[in-house]
Amino acid sequence: MSMAAPLLPEGFADLERFVPDWVQPDAVTRMATRQASPIAALREFYDAMLPRGEAVLAHLRHHQLGALAGPEENLLRLMLMLAEVAPAVEWYGDPRVYDGFPVERVRYLRQISDSAAQAFAGEPA
Amino acid sequence: MNEMATPPVPDIGITAHYPEIGTGPVDTAIYHEPAIYAKEMDAILRRSWYMIGRVEQIARAGDFFTTDLPTFGYEILVCRARDGKVNAFHNVCTHRGNVAEHRSEGHSAGLFTCRFHGWSFDLEGDLKRIRDEEGFFGCDKAKMGLRRIACGVWQGFIFVCPEEEPSQTLEEWLGEQGADTADYPWSQCTQSYQWECEIACNWKLVNDSPAEVHHIPVLHPNSAAPTMMASGNPMGRLLDVRIRGNHRTNSHYSVQAEPKPVQKLAYFHASAAQNVAGGARGYPPGINATRSPFWTVDLIMFFPTLSFTLSAGMYTAHQVWPLGPNRSLYRQRVFVKPAGTAAERFGQENTMVEFRDVVMEDFSTLERIQRALDSGQIREFHYHDHELALRHQHHVVTRILAA
Ligand code: FES
Ligand SMILES: [Fe+2]
Repeated sequence: MSMAAPLLPEGFADLERFVPDWVQPDAVTRMATRQASPIAALREFYDAMLPRGEAVLAHLRHHQLGALAGPEENLLRLMLMLAEVAPAVEWYGDPRVYDGFPVERVRYLRQISDSAAQAFAGEPA
Repeated sequence: MNEMATPPVPDIGITAHYPEIGTGPVDTAIYHEPAIYAKEMDAILRRSWYMIGRVEQIARAGDFFTTDLPTFGYEILVCRARDGKVNAFHNVCTHRGNVAEHRSEGHSAGLFTCRFHGWSFDLEGDLKRIRDEEGFFGCDKAKMGLRRIACGVWQGFIFVCPEEEPSQTLEEWLGEQGADTADYPWSQCTQSYQWECEIACNWKLVNDSPAEVHHIPVLHPNSAAPTMMASGNPMGRLLDVRIRGNHRTNSHYSVQAEPKPVQKLAYFHASAAQNVAGGARGYPPGINATRSPFWTVDLIMFFPTLSFTLSAGMYTAHQVWPLGPNRSLYRQRVFVKPAGTAAERFGQENTMVEFRDVVMEDFSTLERIQRALDSGQIREFHYHDHELALRHQHHVVTRILAA
């Protein structure tokens, strides 16, 4: 009997149900996912993630970018999605910015990688 | 409660420091009239310098990137030459005008080869090879290099000037504003993301959007207001407006209020990527010029179209590219310190998303105002004392166009 590879690090199995929909490859797809989700779905994700935030970040602070195993990368991407979802839940009660300029008109030209190591000043990029 | 918790509310009276600017309502014609826009093109926009990137993007000889100057329709190729200098060219192949380099960035072994008929230019822009040269009728390769565009570097930012013979040097254009902000650790924020959007409004309206915070308690009641305008500052007043020539800086005041839950996680686990008060020790004289302990952010504006929202840990370059009397392209590039751990990466994302959503709140007003301008329904603007930056911009534009 073979076990499927774990989706998340040990101790975070309760969040695995969110991996298929809420782990997204980059900021553009996270933005689109938020805009396309009903507020009830955003709230359900937020309400499950927020109480686990401290534990998740306490875990992630021991993992260096550029050397993330698959489960840690998934866990980080859930947190990045939480960052995208937070204003919808905390500020607007709606996926959209209240009375805002249409976010669909924003075009990303340059992104920060979700998981790659980041150069410090003076290091080659 | 310590003294930090009850700071003095900033006073009215900033405008009075600059009596030549006046206090009356201003005529809105400069925000929409096509003839005025045409004059601005010649008298202001063509004569200015434009930031197009950072030197870190072309660290090694042969590294290059391409970009554009949308206001002027120019395509630009920037590369690091063998001698370490930064070269900038019009990215226009001298055979028949295709771009000489079509990729957005990369490394060249020494030649840029046009993907149309294969002409090749070196890192100095010199035309090195013409494919099937014998079929041409005596092209003088020495005279057919890529055309240079005036280029300079300030604090690691690469600037170009669209004028063939710049009427002012980069240093002259930067002026005292550049000198007084020069020693901020600009290069430490190695990570950046960038986005753009087109907005159907005049370029000066886009500048105006972050140039006053009088609106924060009203336009951003649940987003920026709770963290930027807490208890002591319900009217959204500034610490100061500092005017230097055509440029200006707003210093923002803040009392840190209780952050929202996800903000709290970000502030605690990834404080480096946040706009938090403090940490501004030893800054150059043009940053937190009043040396206030309640300082959080400066908006450092370089007239006409570049400004930086700058705090202790990060900064954002706002660039407006005028496309017409009522059309602009806005580009925002947010620079943050590098994250080492995955937890810090979360802090960067929190900053990026919050900032983007707050700007979406800001920009909701722009096309509405422009419609009111274009339809003749708003003929004057009345500026608050702490909207001085807008009044100064109006003053500078009006003065230059009258000259
Ligand atoms: S246009 Fe470049 S080679 Fe023809
Ligand atoms: Fe605003």
